[in-house]
Amino acid sequence: MASTAPRPATCVLGQQITVRGTLTGEEDLVVEGRVEGSVSLAGHLIVAEGGVVEADIDVQSIEVHGEVRGDIVASASITIDQGAHVSGNVRAPRVIIHDGAQFQGAVEMEVELPEGLARGLSR
Amino acid sequence: MANTVIGSTIVIDGEITGDEDLVVQGTVKGRVSLRENILVEESGVLEANVETSTITINGTVTGDIQASERAELKSNCRVVGDIRAPRILIADGASFKGNVDMDG
Amino acid sequence: MAARQHAPSAPTGDGITIIGEGIHVNGRITGEEDLRVEGRVEGAISLTETVHVARSGVVVATIEARDVVVDGVVVGNVSATNSVSLEPGAKLVGDISAPRLIIADGAAFRGNVAMTEGGESAARNRAAGGRSKSATRARPASGASRAASTPSARATPRATAASRKAERSVTPRVAAIRPPKGAQNVDEEVTVVVRHAALSESEQSEASSDKAAKKKAKKAPPRGRVPKRGKRSVNRR
Repeated sequence: MASTAPRPATCVLGQQITVRGTLTGEEDLVVEGRVEGSVSLAGHLIVAEGGVVEADIDVQSIEVHGEVRGDIVASASITIDQGAHVSGNVRAPRVIIHDGAQFQGAVEMEVELPEGLARGLSR
Repeated sequence: MANTVIGSTIVIDGEITGDEDLVVQGTVKGRVSLRENILVEESGVLEANVETSTITINGTVTGDIQASERAELKSNCRVVGDIRAPRILIADGASFKGNVDMDG
Repeated sequence: MAARQHAPSAPTGDGITIIGEGIHVNGRITGEEDLRVEGRVEGAISLTETVHVARSGVVVATIEARDVVVDGVVVGNVSATNSVSLEPGAKLVGDISAPRLIIADGAAFRGNVAMTEGGESAARNRAAGGRSKSATRARPASGASRAASTPSARATPRATAASRKAERSVTPRVAAIRPPKGAQNVDEEVTVVVRHAALSESEQSEASSDKAAKKKAKKAPPRGRVPKRGKRSVNRR
């Protein structure tokens, strides 16, 4: 998690850029344009306001201000900001949804329930 | 100690158990089993069999009451059911129908 | 009145019901005032006001209310006509249906989310959707399905099981959209690899992130992820 220290430069996919296919990488990425397909990033992904990602996403962490349609898996955290649209299933140790975000789908985090409850609940 | 309060618009249909004081302003149907004190306020309605340490009734209780210490029926209360407690106080003006058992 | 010495003191201030820490309620709680659960409730809670599950509270029940605030533990479906808010330390397993959902960092949650229209955020989002100029191939389809889902969501602001199911059926629209898009993509499939030159300056970070990337690629090939969607039903035990 400490590796999210500021990198020399951040890759930005500008507003007029559309990527169709598989996007992989190992640094932080800001999407202001459009990505369709799949995204696999060992870094921090920011979907900026106006940015649209129609893809299954596998990242270390992600911050959504724009729109994501697809499943998101993050090894660290998923943040869905106010005004963001996300539809798809999300899975991460930390999922943060701010007031005013629009989300449709399932959330999967580790939930450690108290003893008795967990037993009664499991399957 | 946290006070458990069942507010006047609340209806509980089921069972209340625990070891804490209970104030009933609303309605409880079913069963109440506590080791502490119950206060039924004027607006309170208990349609339940009650087991407790002490109970003070200003409202309405329909059901059998078993108090290990004391049952107190205040004036203006309405109680229908059998009461079993070592000490039973029935105030002037209370309305009560049922059996009283003070054998402890 | 005067002789109340043995009775618990009446609460000050009306309109709040408290289930204390030592209390266990098994059954159904209904009402028109705020409820604070510090103890344990099993069964169902249905209120027109706010349900607050305190840090010590454990609720194994279906909750219906205007607002639901969770600091403690909830196992069961939660549906609110306004908002559901999971505070840090909250644990919730179950499905959520509400116009507004707030999950704070440090809250744990597993389940489906159906954001019904109706809250103030929905209005805000409708506005946002209107100004978003990035019209896409997929948008008409999703727009249509959203429009189709909206009336049902409106008709039953407090989502019943049936309407919640309907909500859920909206979610897979992504899947429905995907196949044609995938088919189209066959010809124009490209792979973009983002790797910054600056990375190689720091060998350590490259090595570690390289490893991470490889690990990720192995455990989740991009196309192979699709079945996970199917896994959702399994996840919702």
